[in-house]
Amino acid sequence: MTGRERILAALAGQKPDHLACMPITMTFASDILGVKYLHYVQDHKVMAEAQIRTAEMFGFDYVSTISDPTREAADLGSNIQWYEDRPPAILEDEALFADKSVLARVKAPDRIAGGRMEDRVRGIGLLRERAGSDLFIEGWVEGPCAEAADLRGINRLMLDFSDDPAFVHDLFDFTLALAISFAKEQIAAGADIVGVGDAAASLVGPRIYKEFVWPWEKQLVDAIHANGGKVRLHICGNTRRILEGMGALGCDMVDIDYPAPMDQARLQMGPHQTLAGNLDPVRDVRNGSPETIAKALEALQQQAGARWIVAAGCELVRDTPHQNVHAMVKFAQTHSEFAIA
Amino acid sequence: MAQSRELYEAIVNGDAKQAHAVTQAAIEAGIGPMTLISESMIPAMDEVGRLFEEEEYFVPELLLAGRAMKGAMELLRPLMTASGEKLSARVVIGTVKGDLHDIGKNIVASMLEGSGFEVIDLGADVSSEAFVAAVKERKPQFVCLSALLTVTMPSMKTTIDALGNAGLRTQVKVLVGGAPVTMQYANEIGADGYSENASGAVGLIRRLLEGA
Repeated sequence: MTGRERILAALAGQKPDHLACMPITMTFASDILGVKYLHYVQDHKVMAEAQIRTAEMFGFDYVSTISDPTREAADLGSNIQWYEDRPPAILEDEALFADKSVLARVKAPDRIAGGRMEDRVRGIGLLRERAGSDLFIEGWVEGPCAEAADLRGINRLMLDFSDDPAFVHDLFDFTLALAISFAKEQIAAGADIVGVGDAAASLVGPRIYKEFVWPWEKQLVDAIHANGGKVRLHICGNTRRILEGMGALGCDMVDIDYPAPMDQARLQMGPHQTLAGNLDPVRDVRNGSPETIAKALEALQQQAGARWIVAAGCELVRDTPHQNVHAMVKFAQTHSEFAIA
Repeated sequence: MAQSRELYEAIVNGDAKQAHAVTQAAIEAGIGPMTLISESMIPAMDEVGRLFEEEEYFVPELLLAGRAMKGAMELLRPLMTASGEKLSARVVIGTVKGDLHDIGKNIVASMLEGSGFEVIDLGADVSSEAFVAAVKERKPQFVCLSALLTVTMPSMKTTIDALGNAGLRTQVKVLVGGAPVTMQYANEIGADGYSENASGAVGLIRRLLEGA
């Protein structure tokens, strides 16, 4: 099977030839190509080359256009802090909606034209052209809660849930519309799957997740499906108390980050949800050895059961020893999916 | 004392208006700041920390409680200055150079302030020079460094080294934290302590003070 066929089979519940392997790489990939991260995030041609080079070097089954959380915010006019060799960041003190009244004056774009969002769309087109027959192509959007945090400032948003819930609903309507537009264009450009990165959702707890986040995440998932794409949900952090909700969204795959136990994720989400993860990228992958990584993956597969894809819980960090990444891929290539119990 | 209980509940419930009103009433009734801090604020923030550890409270509840506590503290601070009363220790805290993540640091700062420490929050993206200047000027007992990215963790060592070069290293205990940070890393860079969460940071500082 090609990597693309393998992942498609895994997501469809049709047992692939062996486990699929989908680690998230960003700065790690830019280091493989030997470029500064600023070039990676600003030029889709550099990102595409780095992703292909990394996938081929290690044997990943896919390539991704995940890069940083600021593409959408930048295109809307947010002030971004740029760094030569690390991900750009939003200046929270100058967040676009630090003043709530600004929300009423800003429209989410219907079309993604010019700017950093178009750069990702073009990256997908390039990856589809160069690698789409063999590798699964992944687009990426900020989830509704994460984008709200990017535009409002995360500290303000956390207080808004209590102080002004109506504003939060309006803000999430805005970020949802933005995410749907962006996802649609990525699917049209050739993305097989759209990653939805909603890290801020792991901070809010089950009550706020259920009322404020889940309904908007659900609309996004449904919209991506309606446009012919698949969904990879990625909520960084400790999602232990919201696992059940995450599993009810209908995502094609759900990443589990290292603080949430994989066996709990399986218990909460049922046997048919495809899960990925959840080695600790620092303690397990960067600081481990091929032997400890293989042992950790054995244990994880026992916990995850069938419908499981090999990955770390979050992005592989730079300075991760290559032999450790090879060990992850080797495990995937030498192990089969379990049958559903 | 009724006001102590009311202030405790206002903070735990994240009710900034009530915390302010109760504190104002307590001041007018002649209750001293240190009494309110020790009988209400510290127990309230300890309870908030416990609820966070138990995964009953999450970041929104922590920030609401922190806001309520800070509002009360704003009323007490001038009274403490006037009477010369001091909090038990002074802590300088910040997210290190190159790193703009601050929510974890903000939670630690709130917990420390609510635990009766004087907290000087330098914000995010703080250079080693700024930490050194703050230590020179404010003479804290503790410096807390936060980083959320592996690429910014080296700024922690840079800061510790800068304190050493400025002749200030032995005057402070340096504590580090943040998602990618480990006890092993803390030991490697010569930090005095590491905590993986906000409650742990409070406990660590309390233990270090007892052992001092």
